Amino acid sequence: MIELQALRHRILDIPSLTIPEGHCMVIGPNGAGKSTLLELCAGMQVPTGGTVSVYGTEPRRCAVGWVSEFPDRTVVFDRVFDEIASPLRFVHRPCDETDTRVRETAAVIGIDHLLGASTREISGGEKTLVALATAVIASPSLLVLDDPDTHCDTHTTRHVQQVLERLPIPHILQCTQDMDTASGADTVLYMEGGRIVHAGTPREVFSRLISSCFYPECWRDDSCV
Amino acid sequence: MRLICSGVRRRTGTFQLSADAVFTPGMHLVTGRVGSGKSSLSRLLAGLEHPDAGIVRAEGISRTMLSMQFPEYHVTAPTVTGEIRSWGLSPDVILHETGLAGRENDHPLHLSRGELKRLHLACVLATQYDVLILDEPFSALDCIRKERLCRRLETAGNGITIILTHEPLWLPKTDMLWEMDAGTLRSLGRIPEALLSWADAPRPIRTVIDRGNLPRNITPADIREARCRTRG
Repeated sequence: MIELQALRHRILDIPSLTIPEGHCMVIGPNGAGKSTLLELCAGMQVPTGGTVSVYGTEPRRCAVGWVSEFPDRTVVFDRVFDEIASPLRFVHRPCDETDTRVRETAAVIGIDHLLGASTREISGGEKTLVALATAVIASPSLLVLDDPDTHCDTHTTRHVQQVLERLPIPHILQCTQDMDTASGADTVLYMEGGRIVHAGTPREVFSRLISSCFYPECWRDDSCV
Repeated sequence: MRLICSGVRRRTGTFQLSADAVFTPGMHLVTGRVGSGKSSLSRLLAGLEHPDAGIVRAEGISRTMLSMQFPEYHVTAPTVTGEIRSWGLSPDVILHETGLAGRENDHPLHLSRGELKRLHLACVLATQYDVLILDEPFSALDCIRKERLCRRLETAGNGITIILTHEPLWLPKTDMLWEMDAGTLRSLGRIPEALLSWADAPRPIRTVIDRGNLPRNITPADIREARCRTRG
């Protein structure tokens, strides 16, 4: 589980928060602090005050997979295959194992046809899928996704969520502006102005947002899949 | 005023883009799956890239603007204020409009993506264009900002507005519907009739059509009206 205590960092002010295992969606208006919260949980920033722990350990000492809100910014290699292989190559895993894991991971995510493509020539949505494959290939205990669906169509978003459900990763922390997607999570956090305003199951959180545009549209017309 | 794609073909690796189309004044929505060629089409329409065959012809058009999917591609200054000035605009007006007062000296790439998108779109929409091409303008915006952007686009007074997006819900009142399917641009026609042939319609629209109610347009208000319409 992820625990935050007396957290003060930039605009974030979170006295106490426990995120149970499972898939947690972080929602809220632009500038609410969602990405900052995700970066702290991923160990990419160290809090100015308070603590963040993943299973009682500092996030920086945990294996964390990260999918950036800007997929272009995290691309290192020119070829999709090399990009996905990079986390295993950086820790000197054997070539045969790396090759097999790249092909297996690409197949699970449905991008095996892109392995020979240039990372510069694929579309924004495809870049997100490549970033996801790169983030999960080393089997992290925490996977953090910062608004990955922003470049994806509805089919790809659903595909990503189905892939995430299949991955044996105990903690998935994701922020999104797609409330229909958020409605399928185990836990939802609604943030505003650096604070956690609502936390709980999707039913608990969205019942407080029914008169706002943050309420899932598919709950209004009973069309959720 | 017309933007014409005549026999346009462009190949990138194994991907082939094909477009034969005439865009006239009004709001055009181009939809399509990830990788279907929407961004490539936007660059061809804006004249940033040239087709291998065919021609993109602009008739009676002198001002064209392309807003790219990733707003960081547009950033040219190291501060928010500098970025606004680079568009020839007053920082005070744009900072107020975007709610970014207090962030004047921040680097634009230190803004959240939603904030950067807001800043970029405010700079784009401060000027009127004969052709305004918006590639995924709603990405990264929260639902409050998406709704505001739709209203802004509907009243912006641009000549030809072409929105390329897979946004499923927050869409402006639109005249013509187009679909990119595996690299080929197809006209579905004028809305609302075009909605009936929109095979890949977003779920909120598909749901009301399947229940026998054709929405008058594709805004959330139109969808809600169709959803609650009583037949008989």
